[in-house]
Amino acid sequence: MDFLAQVDPRVNFWATQPGSVEMWLKILVGLVISAGAIFALIKMPTRGRRPVVMAFTFLCGLFYVLLWIWPSPLNRKPDEIARSPAEGVSFLLADTLPIVATITNILVAILLGLGVYSLIRLHGGRIIKRHADRGFSVVLLVSMLTITVFGYLDWGMRTFGDKEGKLLDIANWGFVNLGADLLFDGLLQQMDSAMFSMIAFFILSAAYRAFRIRSVESTVLMASALILMVSLLSAVVVVWNGNVTNLAAAMNVPLANPSIGEAGALNFLKISNIASWVTSFLQTPALRAVDFGIGLGALAMGLRLWLGLEKGGVSV
Amino acid sequence: MQWHDTGSFGMIFVIVLVAFILFNIYRAETKKKELYIRRIPGLNAIDDAIGRATEMGKPVLMVPGIGGLNAISVQALNIFAQVSKAAAQFGTPIRLCVADAAVFTVAQEVIRDVYQQQGLSEKFDPDSVRFVTDRQFAFAAGVSGLILREKVAAAFFLGEFFAESLIFAETANSIGAIQVAGSTEKSQTPFFIAACDYVLIGDEFYAASAYLTRQPILVGSLVGQDWCKILIAACVLFGFMVNSYQRTQTTSLQRMPWSEAEPEAWAQLTPEEQGNFEAVEVMKDTGTPTLVKKENTGLYRVFNPMRDRESLTVTREKKAVVAPLGGGE
Repeated sequence: MDFLAQVDPRVNFWATQPGSVEMWLKILVGLVISAGAIFALIKMPTRGRRPVVMAFTFLCGLFYVLLWIWPSPLNRKPDEIARSPAEGVSFLLADTLPIVATITNILVAILLGLGVYSLIRLHGGRIIKRHADRGFSVVLLVSMLTITVFGYLDWGMRTFGDKEGKLLDIANWGFVNLGADLLFDGLLQQMDSAMFSMIAFFILSAAYRAFRIRSVESTVLMASALILMVSLLSAVVVVWNGNVTNLAAAMNVPLANPSIGEAGALNFLKISNIASWVTSFLQTPALRAVDFGIGLGALAMGLRLWLGLEKGGVSV
Repeated sequence: MQWHDTGSFGMIFVIVLVAFILFNIYRAETKKKELYIRRIPGLNAIDDAIGRATEMGKPVLMVPGIGGLNAISVQALNIFAQVSKAAAQFGTPIRLCVADAAVFTVAQEVIRDVYQQQGLSEKFDPDSVRFVTDRQFAFAAGVSGLILREKVAAAFFLGEFFAESLIFAETANSIGAIQVAGSTEKSQTPFFIAACDYVLIGDEFYAASAYLTRQPILVGSLVGQDWCKILIAACVLFGFMVNSYQRTQTTSLQRMPWSEAEPEAWAQLTPEEQGNFEAVEVMKDTGTPTLVKKENTGLYRVFNPMRDRESLTVTREKKAVVAPLGGGE
């Protein structure tokens, strides 16, 4: 942060010699304080916790609101001094952003640990209690453990044991590297792709049900889908559009007026133009309207959360 | 540069929207009469779905999408809190599957609190809220497996869904579960409409908690959103008329990047200066009148202001060099 970086390093609490005992001591003290704060929050009754959570939410939200409202510094270099207090605030906000992002990453990492703990507890419990589907739990835990071990060993070898970058060449790979590659690229990625490809079959069965003409809405859906699907079939497009051109020629009506770049009435009858009209004049405005609604909903939701107006549910 | 090239109109507009929402929240809190909300079939179906699950003795499945902890997942959890409340009252088992660790911890707290508020803490099963995985298709496979194994009677898919939406919806459909779905991802809404019984479209998703709880703050916020929509619709109508008129006019003045307008002068700049002045635009007289382009219309310029060279020329003092701790070379 800029305002801290300008303090004399000899009296700056945040500036510590890398790798020194003092640095490790400060990290330890920080960890103890954090653990204490988390423990106090856990033990606090829900009613007492609410103002604390609200205050933190407000402060965090205020940071991002200020970041958005406050004018951002123009063409700023890292070694420059702000010209005015207002610009100083914009410097401070810009410098704080990476720190806030780091704090968020640390929090997410801790939460991921909680997620993994939940997974192990659930499936471990199923194995111990001899649940009917315990076979799946065994497969999950064994897979998780195997890929974690191989992943960390591979990462360690590449990060600490391969200064010359030999492992960039597959010829130098050992058992661990090959194992990690097999598990990640050879199995996990392939299974992901297999799952994704299943969507094709699901689309077919869902489309069959959706396109059955049961009501006015489904008839409109069916008709517009048919137009768009037909417009993507090249053979049909060539024949259809050709017929429209021939009709215009037979009626001696120009298809388009090149002088002003506008299409004539008959030009609209081309299937590609009908499909384009459906997309541009029906689909796009409808999606924009939905976008406005979603954006406003998110804005209102964010406001209520930020100002602590939301009661019940998440803000119990 | 024109008077409207200030760059603050977008912000002022958002502040007006915020004011509308806050004013209506205040109005709803002070007004005794309940404000009207139109019927939303998808939300009316929640009680029916839970009732069916209770009769069948099967669990209710809830999935808040695969997004991280944001306004969307928080709203999904708010709705699920209401679903869980009804399920807790009927003693119906629930399954809440999440794909994000942060959402998982919040979800667990929310559901636990719901059971506590109902005085049914002993009935809360911590394993009912599950972190499955944070990989998209592994999550899809995991949830599909759960749907098939436990034969859920009702499924609620509300939140941020992507390609996995149809996998969930079709799997749940295959076992005959009642499905209520809604996604803020508009590309996924058609899939849900095709495969699910009830779908919340667009902002109906955000209206759900107001609809279910009728809390004055939520209802007021919803009315505020409607005011905002009216304002936006008026702006769209105004913009349509102004732009339609402007686009029929001709002009030889064209707005373009400085690098395109004066390539010779641009080539004289150092790479650092080019980086600084990348955003600079100028109005250039091309000498040939053409129809007004989109970027020269008044409304476009209100929301996309022009930057000139002077405003981007900034001179600041440099910091004094401080020796690093532990000395240097």
